[in-house]
Amino acid sequence: MLSFVRFILTRAVMALATLIIVSLVVFSLMELVPGDCAERYLAFKNTQGSGISVADIEAERARLGLDKPFFTRWTVWITNAFQGEFGDSCILRVNIADLLGQKFWLSLGICLSALVLAYAIAVPVGIIAAASNNATLNNTLKFISYFGLAMPNFLLALLIMLISTVWFGETLTGLFSKEYRDADWSWAKLVDLMKHAWLPIFILGWSATAFALQTVRALMSDEIGKLYVTAASARGVSGRKLLWNYPARHALGPIVNSLGFDLNRIFNELPIVALILVMTDAGALLIEALARSNDQQLAGAIIFLLTASIVTLNFFTDVLLAVLDPRVRKSILR
Amino acid sequence: MSSLIDVKNLTLKFKTDEGLITAVNNVSFSLKKGEVMGLVGESGSGKSVTAKALMHLNARNAVYTPESKITLHTEAGEVDVLSLTKPSEMQVVRGGAISMIFQEPMASFAPAITIGKQMVEQLQLHGNMSKAKAKEISVEMLDRVGISDAHKRFDQYAFELSGGMRQRAMIAMALSTKPKLLIADEPTTALDVTIQAQVIDLMKDLVNEFHMGIIFITHDLGVVAQTADKVSVMYLGELIEEGPVREVIRTPAHPYTQGLLSALPKLDDLDSPLTPVPGDIPSPLERPSGCVFHTRCSKIVGDACKTTLPQAYQLDESHSAACHIYPKGESA
Repeated sequence: MLSFVRFILTRAVMALATLIIVSLVVFSLMELVPGDCAERYLAFKNTQGSGISVADIEAERARLGLDKPFFTRWTVWITNAFQGEFGDSCILRVNIADLLGQKFWLSLGICLSALVLAYAIAVPVGIIAAASNNATLNNTLKFISYFGLAMPNFLLALLIMLISTVWFGETLTGLFSKEYRDADWSWAKLVDLMKHAWLPIFILGWSATAFALQTVRALMSDEIGKLYVTAASARGVSGRKLLWNYPARHALGPIVNSLGFDLNRIFNELPIVALILVMTDAGALLIEALARSNDQQLAGAIIFLLTASIVTLNFFTDVLLAVLDPRVRKSILR
Repeated sequence: MSSLIDVKNLTLKFKTDEGLITAVNNVSFSLKKGEVMGLVGESGSGKSVTAKALMHLNARNAVYTPESKITLHTEAGEVDVLSLTKPSEMQVVRGGAISMIFQEPMASFAPAITIGKQMVEQLQLHGNMSKAKAKEISVEMLDRVGISDAHKRFDQYAFELSGGMRQRAMIAMALSTKPKLLIADEPTTALDVTIQAQVIDLMKDLVNEFHMGIIFITHDLGVVAQTADKVSVMYLGELIEEGPVREVIRTPAHPYTQGLLSALPKLDDLDSPLTPVPGDIPSPLERPSGCVFHTRCSKIVGDACKTTLPQAYQLDESHSAACHIYPKGESA
C-alpha cells in the first residue's frame, strides 16, 4: 500500500516535470513568433491612426517586462500559469484568464463527455462484437464504424443543423440560450446547457466512438485468440464468466492507455465543430489567436491548458493501469 | 484394466474460406485407465487437434463427421463427448474428468489473474466447495508438485514464477480436480532439458499416485520412450502406426516412423550422419492422394501408394502400421 502511494507520488512529480518541460517548449514557441507583444499592439494602434515612435515601443516593452532575459520571463510565466494567471492578451488587452473564463472548462467538459460517450458505447459493443461470430452483426458494426470514421465531423454537424432547421424549425447553435448566456450558474442554466451541449458532444463522440470501437474490437480479437483463453475453457470456464474475466479484463489495459491520445484527438476536432455550431469555445479562440491575430499570449495559454489536461488524464490512466494490470504494478513497485 | 476413453473413426474438418480442410482422418484408438500414450507427429500432423477433440475444445469452425465417436467412461457412466453442446454438459470433459496442460505454461495462465484465483475458480466450477476449501486443496496441490512456499505462490502471478515452476503450477492446476485423463500437449518443449527431466519424473509419479491415463503429445520420441506405455504416430491427420512403445522404437514398422527414428542423433555413434525425413509435411490444403506420406516416402511399392489409402496392418496383437509394404487383407 505504502509503495503504491509512493508510485502515485512519483507519477505526479513526473507529470509535473512533463508539464514544466512542455511549458518551456510552449513559451519558446511563443517567443519564436516574429515580433513581440509590444510591437504587435503598437502596430495595431498605428493602423487605428495614432502615431508611434521607437521610444513608445521600448516603453511598452519595459512595461510588459519584455526587456528581461528569456529565462526570467519564462519563470514568471510558468509560476503564474500554475496559478491560472496568463497575463493580458496581446491584441485584445484584456486579462486572458477572464477572457477564457468558463470557455476552457466548457470545452474540456464537452471533450471529456464525448470521450466518455465514445468509450461507454465502444467498450461493451466492441467486446461483444469480437466475441460473437454472427456475421450480420459484425458486418453491420463494421459498416457503421467505417462510416463513422469516414464521415467528417463538420459534415455531420451541418447535416444535423440542416435537418433540425428545416424540419423542426429549431436552430441548434451556441451553448446557451440568450437569457442564460451571462446569467449566474443555476440549475436552470445547467439544464439549458445540457439542451445545447448534447449536439457537440454527439458529433465529437461520433467519430471518437467509431475509432474506439475499432481499437476495442481489435484488442479483444487479439486477446480471445490467446492460449490462456483456450486454457480457461479447457478448465470448464465458459460463457460470460470466460468472456469478461479473461479476454475482456486483459484487453482493458491497452484501452485505458489510449484514452489520453483520444482526448487530444477530440480536442483537435472541437474548433471546427465549434465554428459550425457557433460556439465560442476555447478551441475556436485558439484558432482566432493563432491564425488571425498572432496573439501568442492567448495561444500559449490555451495550449498550456490543453497540455495540462492531457498530462493530468495520462497521470490518471497510468495509475488506473497499475491498478488493473499486476505486471505494471509489480514492475514499478519493486 | 478397463477402458477409459474410446475414439472411433474420428474425422475432423475445418470450415475455411478455402473450403473444408481435413485435419484428422478416420483415427481410432483407445486408452485404458492408468495407461500412458504418446501421440507423436510433426507440427500439423493433427495430434493437438485430436487431443482437443477429446475435450470438444476445437474452434467453432470444426466439423465432425457423423461416424466420429468419442466415448469417455466415467464412474457416473458413459459420456458421448461429441454430442455435448451446452457448456454445463461439457464441464465433465473440460477440467472435470479430463484436464489439459499446454506447451507454453506462461501463455496458458491469464497474466492478470493470480494462480490461486484461477485454481480456486476451477475447483469451484467442478465441485461444490467453499473458497477456503478450494484454497486449501490448491495450496496442497502446489506443494505436492514440488513448488516451494506454496502459500506465497498461490497469491502470485504467472510472470513471477520461473518456467519450470510455471509448468509445475499448471500440472497442479490440471490435477487439482482429480481427472481420470490428463492430456499433456508438449508440456516440456518450452523447458530447459534439466527441468524437462524433472517435470517428466513428476508426471510419472503423479500417474501412479492418481492412477490416471495420460495422453502425451510430443514430437520428441525420446520423451515418449521415457514416459509412455504405448505410442501412436500421426502424419497429416492419419494414424499411421500404433504399438507398445519399446516395440515401435526398436522395430518401427512404418517408413515414416523409421525415418523419424533415424533422424535422431545416436549417442553411441556421434559421427554417423543424421538422416532426416526428406521434404516437408504437405499443407492440409494439398492433401496427397493415396497414402498421404507417399510424397516423402523412400519405400514406395507401386501405384497403390499414390492411389489407395493403406489400411492398418496388424503386425501383432498390439502393433499395427498403415502402409502398402505389408500384405493386404491379412490383418488380424
